[in-house]
Amino acid sequence: MTRQEFLARIRGEMRKTSGLFAASVAERPAHPQRIADTLRRELSERWPETLEVFRREFERVGGIFYRVPSLAEVPEVVGALARERGARRVIAWHPSALRADLSGPLMAQDLETHLMPPGGLPEAERHGLRAHIAEADLGLTGVDLAVAETGTLVLVSGAGRPRSTALLPPYHVAVFDRTALVESLQQLGVVLESWHEGQPPVGRGGAIHFITGPSRTADIELTLTRGVHGPKEVHAIFVDAPFVG
Amino acid sequence: MSFRQRAASALNDASLQEALTIATTKFIELRREAFDGFPQGERLRDRARQIKEATLQQLDHYVERLVDNVERLGGHAHYAVTAEEARDIVLEIAKRGGARMAVKTKSMATEEIELNEALTRAGITPVETDLGEYIIQLAHEKPSHIIAPAIHKTKGQVAQLFARELKREVAADAEVLTRIARAELRDKFLRAEVGITGANFAVADTGTVVLVTNEGNGRMVTSLPRVHIAVMGVEKVVPSMTDLMIFLAILAKSATGQKLSVYTTLVQGPRRPGELEGPDEFHLVLLDNGRITQLAGPLREALSCLRCGACLNVCPVYRQIGGHAYGYTYPGPIGILLTAMLHGQESVKELAHASSLCGACADACPVRIDIPRMLIELRQGGVESKTAPWAERVVFKTLGRLLTRPALYRLSARLARLFQRPFVRDGVIRRLPLFFGHWTRTRDLPPVAAPTFSERWAELERES
Repeated sequence: MTRQEFLARIRGEMRKTSGLFAASVAERPAHPQRIADTLRRELSERWPETLEVFRREFERVGGIFYRVPSLAEVPEVVGALARERGARRVIAWHPSALRADLSGPLMAQDLETHLMPPGGLPEAERHGLRAHIAEADLGLTGVDLAVAETGTLVLVSGAGRPRSTALLPPYHVAVFDRTALVESLQQLGVVLESWHEGQPPVGRGGAIHFITGPSRTADIELTLTRGVHGPKEVHAIFVDAPFVG
Repeated sequence: MSFRQRAASALNDASLQEALTIATTKFIELRREAFDGFPQGERLRDRARQIKEATLQQLDHYVERLVDNVERLGGHAHYAVTAEEARDIVLEIAKRGGARMAVKTKSMATEEIELNEALTRAGITPVETDLGEYIIQLAHEKPSHIIAPAIHKTKGQVAQLFARELKREVAADAEVLTRIARAELRDKFLRAEVGITGANFAVADTGTVVLVTNEGNGRMVTSLPRVHIAVMGVEKVVPSMTDLMIFLAILAKSATGQKLSVYTTLVQGPRRPGELEGPDEFHLVLLDNGRITQLAGPLREALSCLRCGACLNVCPVYRQIGGHAYGYTYPGPIGILLTAMLHGQESVKELAHASSLCGACADACPVRIDIPRMLIELRQGGVESKTAPWAERVVFKTLGRLLTRPALYRLSARLARLFQRPFVRDGVIRRLPLFFGHWTRTRDLPPVAAPTFSERWAELERES
């Protein structure tokens, strides 16, 4: 059936309805970008409380939280948690996406670190790389938003930030600072609206992922089990000194 | 097998009874805790219902907007009026891509159109990747719960299924079984050419298809195969991201008691320039299959359903008989309505009575669908269209006449008091003769009181 026929079918039935009650959709912010900017300014003043709520909720869903003064301490934390778990092979977002190049210090932690390419690759190379990603023990990513209300990490796919970095390895480690924090799902909605205003920036990918704790299932006798298909553990490292301007 | 027989065999299945009680009780508890800690929940439920209703009132507009945006992002939209059309569309896309294996996320829409059978016939192996769906696929069964498809299986039974499939001993331990499924399915995610999903929502404003999962299979299926096909009931469109957040805030709480499910995946078209992963092709199949006529039909309210499963868990009938006894894709109170939507009212002439009309389903429904009202209408429809058994029709017609004629009603109450005498034991009627016995087989009938209410009323009036 064609689009026009299908729509005509819907319209034909809509015309037959009667006695419907008045209803409205949610009010979409008229200028989401402006509201999102205001929100960020307000949040920059009360981020410590927001972070505390995030930590509590993130831990409640099974996440493991760390806080370090600066980016310089991140490789040590990653190194320690990797050693504890016998993880050696690390894949990481490209420095342009992570906004820091940690490969040197990670190697110094005896972690075999593989940086993701800054953009796309030809088919053949893509497949080679996928095999590599599939064998990694630990995926290191940034965070676009951290939602306190639910302990959720929001990651947007795109250039230098392949979708499987936070998916295929059994351990996901995400690094973020105060600029990523929002308080609620409602605020997340505002930011999502702002992201969809106008043309997407170059390098923005086709998927946005909300990650709320490690992969889980309760499909067998409602017994909670972690790490079905996605990571068994999710670690979030909060860096006090903002590493983005 | 009739519904009555299926229900009877479910009632006699001790392990099913135990599994159902444990699971539904747990789900009820988790849901209650989630909403107790969420004071704005009640307001958001009202809001969500409003949004659904407002969207249905302009469904053509939102579907058109959705499709425009999907195409703008480089995706393809397809339109299926029937289940068969939907299957053909999916098969054609999959065959064109030379697919031999398709990995799937849990999707009631693809269950509804019986896609797996069609894929198999076309030489494409469908692989269910949600753990619960994987289990029932191995068992060659249908899901017994909208969100927990293998709710009726014990870990021992799952271990046996895995052992048969893998031809080795498998321990009956949820942890071990999950680890095995992870390993088995990981390889398939990496090899499959096609990924097939349903959709929990699609955002008209942005052309975004939204998938909610806990295991991460939704992310695998939308990231790794070369082709992604999403099959979605046309009523699942929501206007904006702002609307979407309202639904997300109540969906997981109603389903599993989580604040959010682990993974909410927002898919916007195929892989973009500069992106390493993601499908080359993205297809959205919009499915009618009985939905569109309900825009102006008696089951319109059921088009607001989010498929959270909350009404199943609280239903005293579902809790006793489980999902399979219903005999169709969608079980539980909402399932009866969806079955009538998909297969016509004739198909639910028995099922419309598989409810005590207690109203627990309407209370639990995140968007407050008045399920009991529609069940009553289906029963009424059964009497009017003569699809209900003749005895039932006679009884209802006769009662209807009596209730509108006071003199006749009073007379028949007196007669009934006389005739009921041999059947009353300890103040209740436990067994009636002839076809009336159907009614008393599973419940007691209160006898006509002496004196009757109208007699007492008249007496009171005289006294005062």
